[in-house]
Amino acid sequence: MPANVVVHDLWKHYGAVPAVRGVSFTVEPGEIFGLLGPNGAGKTSTLECLVGLRDSTQGEIEICGLNARIAARAVKEKIGVALQTTALQDKITAREAVRLFGSFYRDSVAAPELLQRFGLGEKADARFDTLSGGQRQRLALALAFVNRPAVVFLDEPTTGLDPQSRRELHEHIRQMKRDGCTVLLSTHHLEEAEQLCDRIAIIDQGRIVATGAPHELMAGAGGLQTLALVTTPMLPMDELAGLAGVTEVENAGTAMRLRSRDVAATLEALGTLMRERAVELVDLQVRKASLEDVFLRLTRRETKEPAA
Amino acid sequence: MNGALEHLSTSLRLHFRNRMALLYGYLFPLIFLVAFWVLYRHEKIPLLRHMGELLTVSVLGGACFGLPTAMVSERERGVWRRYRLTPVPTWVVVTSTVLARYVIVLTAGLLQLAVALAVGMTMPEHPVALMVAFSAVAFAFIGLGLVMAMLADNVPAVQALGQCVFLPMLIIGGVAVPLASLPEWALHVSAFFPGRYAVEALQAGVSGPGLGGMRFSLLALVLIGAAGCLAGAKLFRWDAQQRFAARSGRGWLVVVFAAWMAVGALAEWRGRIAVPVDAAERVTAPVAVAPPAPASLPTPAAVPPPPPPPAPWEKITEQDIAGLDYRVPPDEGIVSPIAPVDDEPIDFLAAQVAEVRRQLPNWPPGDEPNDIQAVRNLLYVAGVPDAIQLPSERYLPRVVFDHLTERYPKDKLIKILTWIAMHPEEGMVIDDISDLGIEGTAGDPLVVQERAYLYAIKFIARLTGRKAN
Repeated sequence: MPANVVVHDLWKHYGAVPAVRGVSFTVEPGEIFGLLGPNGAGKTSTLECLVGLRDSTQGEIEICGLNARIAARAVKEKIGVALQTTALQDKITAREAVRLFGSFYRDSVAAPELLQRFGLGEKADARFDTLSGGQRQRLALALAFVNRPAVVFLDEPTTGLDPQSRRELHEHIRQMKRDGCTVLLSTHHLEEAEQLCDRIAIIDQGRIVATGAPHELMAGAGGLQTLALVTTPMLPMDELAGLAGVTEVENAGTAMRLRSRDVAATLEALGTLMRERAVELVDLQVRKASLEDVFLRLTRRETKEPAA
Repeated sequence: MNGALEHLSTSLRLHFRNRMALLYGYLFPLIFLVAFWVLYRHEKIPLLRHMGELLTVSVLGGACFGLPTAMVSERERGVWRRYRLTPVPTWVVVTSTVLARYVIVLTAGLLQLAVALAVGMTMPEHPVALMVAFSAVAFAFIGLGLVMAMLADNVPAVQALGQCVFLPMLIIGGVAVPLASLPEWALHVSAFFPGRYAVEALQAGVSGPGLGGMRFSLLALVLIGAAGCLAGAKLFRWDAQQRFAARSGRGWLVVVFAAWMAVGALAEWRGRIAVPVDAAERVTAPVAVAPPAPASLPTPAAVPPPPPPPAPWEKITEQDIAGLDYRVPPDEGIVSPIAPVDDEPIDFLAAQVAEVRRQLPNWPPGDEPNDIQAVRNLLYVAGVPDAIQLPSERYLPRVVFDHLTERYPKDKLIKILTWIAMHPEEGMVIDDISDLGIEGTAGDPLVVQERAYLYAIKFIARLTGRKAN
């Protein structure tokens, strides 16, 4: 049975307000797939529909070859979920929690093994209210793995964690992939998505605005590259905008930021302009579009769209 | 199945780790028990007549506070949301939560029973019937608790809702305040509350007629419980974000109210409102309202085989008299008071007391051929005003005492009073002496019986020169 996720034309309304508007994507078996988007973009709503916490208004969801609406219980046997915040009862111990949740499945991993794997071996008998934020999050992950899932859903798993815990969690997620799991995670950390995900879907205002591998998305950002230029005195913006290949000029305070479709032509024209104006070059950086650029450009465009 | 059992055992373990839950679930009912024990300390068998009320308080606390508090706090934290991500159906988790609660209230009830036995209560007369009644009471209140858990959006709301159910049931629902002391309108109201049926059913198991005497109460409790469980299931919400006000299916609440209304209407229709039937049945003899025709009074001595030649009181020995418990409330207190000799009533009280003194020698129940019953009836003339707490309660005991000492030789009177004090729960009870010009009805014949016993002790002490209290 393929451990994949296929979502087709998913809609979710809260009353009359659409939170998810026709989302479609496919997660291939064994990949880490990221749903990336700003807060309120519809990531959590999409995920909640996928894991069966909410009924979608419309659309098809197939997980491990099963229709998630019809075979909801069979799907739940095959998936593991770690929600954004999982608070358990104050007085439950990590071991009891794993045992309790394990008992809800036909097949489950023994508590000591699972707790060891998520670095909670020494905290097995500690009560939930004594665990740190990172330990709680690891316990949530352990619970997501209690049934040996084929697909794991993680909703903003690193939110609220310190850098050390975040790094540890990333390693756990990579291990999931190495163990043959399919991972679907939502995040608003660009860096996280870039480092972890094989593929990403950028979601904004309930719609997928781009899908692809992080490097594809960056490359596909219209081939645009950014030049950060510092000169004394500063060159006038209108003249910079008129340079060959330049599509956009931004005054970033000490530096001018240019976006160019043809860096070679822009650099050549810039050299000529600097000589003509007799300005001194202090700093010049050329870099490719980052995921952040892609993200900001796409989501900004989306927010502008309704007005257009 | 495995999941349900694991959830059940985890819920129980977590309950016993939660200090607040223990406080509310166990200590709180025990405080009630101690309060009742102190309040009714002069009753012959401690707490026996109040176990129905005490057990009801236990179940009410556990089911209507404990259950919704635990459920709502877990829902607020997202535990129920997390359960929903697993393949186990929600009803399985709800059922094991309810079962865990049943075990919890059962342990609280058993603890209460154990403490009551430790302070001298006798074993319940019908343990099996008591268990049946307890289960029905738990079912009714757990159903109610489920509805409250679905109504309340957060834990403070549970507390507020809980008080709205708990306090009226305690005060005018027949749980903490005996029905007999409530006004007529409150009796009608109490018929619509499950608390009254809970007390009746449990008491019938502790000191009443057993299963036979609790049929109506059981029916009422099961009906109320079933309505609660149905509405609770239909209104179930696993996510704290689902607010009650925005929830569909709120109409199911009507089912709960309909069940309460149906039970109340049925009680009205069957005429079960005014008289606390079970309370009267608890007395070994029926209640008589004066003036009873003397011939119609079946005396305990006369009803079974023909009376033995020597009257029972004649066998009373000095040892019996010395063996009585003379620790009775002080004369100046509110229970069984006797005015000092130099305290004479004035104004209308003087007239009322004088009227009783004038009528007493010709009062038919006081002229009963059976001496024991006659003295008992005369003691009720002191007991009834005390039970109702009339202004004349302090003066009438002396009138009765004077009449008794005039009517009977001293030794005989001491023996008769001793016999009565040794058999306080026997004989006919008169709880209405309006034919002597004392208006009002005591309501609970057991209270009258208890007061008659106290006066018997006080009179013996006076006659034999003993110190009472």
